[in-house]
Amino acid sequence: MVGPSQNSPSPVTRDFLAGRFRDQLAGEDLLELESLLSEPRLLADRQVLIARGEKAHQATLLVEGYLLRSISRDNKRFIVGIHVPGDFVDLHGLMLKRLDHDILAVGPARIAQVPHEELDRVIRIRPSIARALWFATLLDAAIHRQWIRNLEALDAPQRIAHLFAELHHRLRQIGHNVNRALRTPFTQSDLADMCGVSAIHANRAVARLRELGLAEIRRGDLYTSDWKALEAYAGFDPAYLYGEEMSR
Amino acid sequence: MIDPNVEAVRYPITGRFLLGRLRQLMSEEEKSVLEGLVERTEWIDKPFRLIARGEKTDHSTMLVEGFMLRTLDDKGRRHAVSFHVPGDFVDLHAYALKRLDHNIDTVGRVKVGYVPHAAVDEVVAQRPHLARLFWFSTLLDAALHREWITSLEHLTVPRRLAHIFAEIWCRLDMVGLGERDSFETPFTQMDLAEMCGATAIHTNRAIRDLRERGLAAFERGRVTISDRNALESHAEFDPAYLYGAASLKLDDFPELR
Repeated sequence: MVGPSQNSPSPVTRDFLAGRFRDQLAGEDLLELESLLSEPRLLADRQVLIARGEKAHQATLLVEGYLLRSISRDNKRFIVGIHVPGDFVDLHGLMLKRLDHDILAVGPARIAQVPHEELDRVIRIRPSIARALWFATLLDAAIHRQWIRNLEALDAPQRIAHLFAELHHRLRQIGHNVNRALRTPFTQSDLADMCGVSAIHANRAVARLRELGLAEIRRGDLYTSDWKALEAYAGFDPAYLYGEEMSR
Repeated sequence: MIDPNVEAVRYPITGRFLLGRLRQLMSEEEKSVLEGLVERTEWIDKPFRLIARGEKTDHSTMLVEGFMLRTLDDKGRRHAVSFHVPGDFVDLHAYALKRLDHNIDTVGRVKVGYVPHAAVDEVVAQRPHLARLFWFSTLLDAALHREWITSLEHLTVPRRLAHIFAEIWCRLDMVGLGERDSFETPFTQMDLAEMCGATAIHTNRAIRDLRERGLAAFERGRVTISDRNALESHAEFDPAYLYGAASLKLDDFPELR
């Protein structure tokens, strides 16, 4: 996947709230934010960034790749959120101090970090940055609500379709050009854990999407010639992602 | 330890805000400031859509008495994604988001207090500590949402319902409204069905299942529970996600003071 230009004045934070709140931030706010973040480093596939209950001392921006929020219980794992570049993945820890969930990489990922004390200083002197960060954490809450609604209202094939429709939309918000193929490092078991179904059901759901001619999913990659049809099937309405659709 | 009843008398509108969580970190001055942010209060007697999804709003709502639901509509059906108890700054999300992605619906009779966003602006600009507590309170909602996702992903309908009962009781306890072996809600069976993501029939069966197991009796909104541990273990309920007095509790973080 080819990302946006590398020549941005803020190469590490260029995706932060892109397509959403970003245009409400002044240039100097963006530069200030950029200056706070460390040099990006790599996380390996399945590497845990922060575990539930661990004390959080810094906040992490995902620069490249995907991270998951997951909750484990009785040796079962539940995936409660997916992150794309530009997301401050553990910013909730700035206020909650210990997260109620784990955050881990799926596929290799690049992250940059900022110590909480630095962020604390900045949000005291720059209310606009405070609001942007607050907004970012509430976006997570909005996405959680949509997932709750999906689990309450959709069957397994629709849930998988919704998942990819959401991802497609979020990647486009940060300027990634996704055409017919959306490539992810997700395994079939990841998909099952995101949808709250067994691996067998996830398999059947994938087969169903193929039968309906909506999408072909192979090793985490989704191929479709008709995103609109996939969105309609999933009942996907992007307003909850707070892009331009919300202000229409 | 803060006495919830003293707080509720001293600060009649906002006295339950963050009780059982970080209220002990609020100075009396901050509590007064918060109380003063409420421009007016109002009783709403019947179920009412306080804010509809997508509507622009310039104020947020403190729930003073009663219960509310956050809901999403889908093909004519309402889905509840969380409930609220007194002391919750329900739609503070709207301060940062401006438009909500969901509806705020009252259930039964409620008393609400309205806080203009211009007043929250002043808190953000001048009172960073109080602003942090506001931010914190909105992230509690996100933690609740994650728990609901988990619960919907793996619990059967009767266990989901048990989980909801356990959560209501625990949250009422935190704000000083829990009773010894029961609690009162305005929820109908339909409301419960919307929270469980189940049909009315399945929810009815789940209610019967919990009663037959002796775990919880639901009657016209009143929930009676004789063995709290049994209910909580049936629901796989671990209150840590509520950030009260459990494993994720926050009292050893000097930077929060």
